[in-house]
Amino acid sequence: MVSSCLSYKRYTYIHENENEPTRGAIDIHHVIINGSRVTGYARLWWLAFFLVGLAIIMYFLLGKDNPVRTLSWSCLLSGFFVMIQSRKFVKKESVIIMPTFGIQLETQYLSGKTVSRFIPIGKILKPVLVECVTPVTCYWSLSLFLRGEEQLTLVFKELRPSLKMLVPIWKALCAVSGTDQREMMTEEEHVVAG
Amino acid sequence: MAEPKLRVLMVSDFFFPNFGGVENHIYYLSQCLLNLGHKVVVMTHAYGNRSGVRYMTGGLKVYYVPWRPFTMQNTFPTVYGTLPIVRTILKRERITVVHGHQAFSTLCHEALMHARTMGYRVVFTDHSLYGFADVGSIHMNKVLQFTLADIDQAICVSHTSKENTVLRSGLAPGKVFMIPNAVDTAMFKPADVRPSSDDVITIVVISRLVYRKGADLLVEVIPEVCRLYPNVRFVVGGDGPKHVRLEEMREKHSLQDRVEMLGAVPHSRVRSVLVTGHIFLNSSLTEAFCIAILEAASCGLLTVSTRVGGVLPDDMVVLAEPDPDDMVRAIEKAISILPSINPEEMHNRMKKLYSWQDVAKRTEIVYDRALKCSNRNLLERLSRFLSCGAWAGKVFCMVMIIDYLLWRLLQLLQPDDDIEEAPDINFCN
Repeated sequence: MVSSCLSYKRYTYIHENENEPTRGAIDIHHVIINGSRVTGYARLWWLAFFLVGLAIIMYFLLGKDNPVRTLSWSCLLSGFFVMIQSRKFVKKESVIIMPTFGIQLETQYLSGKTVSRFIPIGKILKPVLVECVTPVTCYWSLSLFLRGEEQLTLVFKELRPSLKMLVPIWKALCAVSGTDQREMMTEEEHVVAG
Repeated sequence: MAEPKLRVLMVSDFFFPNFGGVENHIYYLSQCLLNLGHKVVVMTHAYGNRSGVRYMTGGLKVYYVPWRPFTMQNTFPTVYGTLPIVRTILKRERITVVHGHQAFSTLCHEALMHARTMGYRVVFTDHSLYGFADVGSIHMNKVLQFTLADIDQAICVSHTSKENTVLRSGLAPGKVFMIPNAVDTAMFKPADVRPSSDDVITIVVISRLVYRKGADLLVEVIPEVCRLYPNVRFVVGGDGPKHVRLEEMREKHSLQDRVEMLGAVPHSRVRSVLVTGHIFLNSSLTEAFCIAILEAASCGLLTVSTRVGGVLPDDMVVLAEPDPDDMVRAIEKAISILPSINPEEMHNRMKKLYSWQDVAKRTEIVYDRALKCSNRNLLERLSRFLSCGAWAGKVFCMVMIIDYLLWRLLQLLQPDDDIEEAPDINFCN
C-alpha cells in the first residue's frame, strides 16, 4: 500500500510499504516522470517531423542531381538522432528493497520494456548521495559502493530526481545494508581532499 | 549553525593540486573567511582525474568542473560555454559575492562576466604584474579592461601591482583596494638553534633561475662578494634556464666549495633550507608581491632585496637597485648589521604584520563595500563598456548583449526554481 507520495517538478515519488511494517517486509520506491504517455509519443512525432524536414532541406541543399549522397547523409543523421532520443523515453524507475535478501533496480520504458538488475545484500558496501558535476550542470545522484566493483553503481540510471526524493530512499538503503547514518555523516566530516 | 553572513564563490583556474602563490592565497583566505563565519565555495577546472565536488579542511567546498585546460592550466576560452555551470553553481550555493583571482585565468574572466550578467556582486584580485608591449600582453590587457569595466571592487596585492592594474585596465583607482599577501608564520619559524655567524656567514637564494628573477645579477654579484668576504658562502636553491650560467660562474672563479647549488627545492623543504642561512638575497627585477622575502623574514633571516612590490619594514630589509655594484654594497651593509638581528623577535613581528586573519578581515570590508554598490540595469552597464574604445567598446557591448540573451534563454529552458539548492554540510571540529 502507498505510504507516501510526493510530486515535485518533473517527477513523482511513490513509496509503497506494508501497513504495519514487519521484519522482512518488502519496501518499494518508485520515481515516475510526470506527464502521460501522450507526452512521450508527442515527442516521438515531433522528432519524426523534424527528421523529415531535415531530409527535405538536405535534398535541396545538396543538390537534386545526387540523390544517393543526399539519402546516405540523411540516413546517417537521422540514425544518430534516433539513437540519442530512444534512450530517453523512460516512464518509471523503481527500487525494490528486500531486507536480508537484496535490492532490485528496475527501469521501465515507455515502450513497455523493463530492464532490471538484482544486487544481493552481501554485495552492497554503502549507499551514498553524490553530487555529480558535468561541464554544464550539477545534480545529486544516489549511488552504491559494490564489493568487487571499481565504479559506483547508479540507483537511478536515467532519471534525476531531486534530493528530497533521494534522501528517504538513501535512508532505507542504509537501513537494509547495515550502514549507520550517523556514522556516514561523521565520516563525511573527516573527509579531506585527497 | 547560524546562517553564514556572506556566501562567497572564489573562481580561478589556479587551485590545488596545482601549487603556487595564487593557489596558496585562495586557500588561506578561504580558510580564514570560514573561521569568520562565512561560507566559501571554490570553483576551478578539473585536474586530471580530480573532477567533481571535493571538500577540503574546514568544510571548504571545491567544484572541479570538467572543462579541459588547454595551456598553462587555463580553461579553453569559449566565452559563453561556462554560463550554464556557473549559473547552476551560483543558484545551488545561494552565492552573494563572486571573487575572481588572477588576470591570466580565462575561467575567472568568464565567470565574472556571467555573474555580472545575472546581477551578482563581483570582486577581482590581481596577483601579478604584466607588460604593455608584447602581443600577448596587449590582448590580455584588453580582456582585463572588459572584465574590470563592470566590476564592483578590485583588490591588488601591493602598490606596485595597483599602479600596474590601473594603468592596464583604465579602472578608477578609487575602486582598487590594496591588501598585501600574508605568510604562514606557523610553518616558517626560525631554527631552534641559530647557526653561528662568527665563522661562516651563509647567504641563501631561493628562486626560479630565470631572467625576470634576476639570475643574471647573481652571476655578477656572487663572485664579487666571495672575493671581498672570504668567510661568506652561498646556498642557491631553484632551477631554470639560467642554471647553466651560474654553473659556469662557479667553474670560472673556482667557487665550488663556496657556492652550493641545490637544484629545485619543493615548497615543503624551503623552510629547512632557509634556516641554514643568515641572510636572504632576492634579486628579482620585478614582482607584484614577493612572498619569498616574507618567508625568509619569518624564519629570522635578514633580507637584501631589489625594490619589488611588497617590501618589509626598513629594519628587516636592505634595499638595492638592480645593479651588481649596488647589490654588493647592500650585502656589505647587511653583513655589518647582522649581529644586531634577533630572529625570534623578527618572527614575532612578522606574525603581527602579515597574518592571513588580517587579510581576511580586510577582504571582508571589500565584500561589504561591494554589496553596498547599487545594482545597475543592462543599459547602464552597456554604457560603461562603450568607453573602453572605439571598436572594442562596441564589441564588448555585443558580447554582453548576447550573454544576457543566452541567460534569458537558459531561464526559459531551465527556470531558476528548477535548480535545487544544496544543503550546507556542517563540519564540526
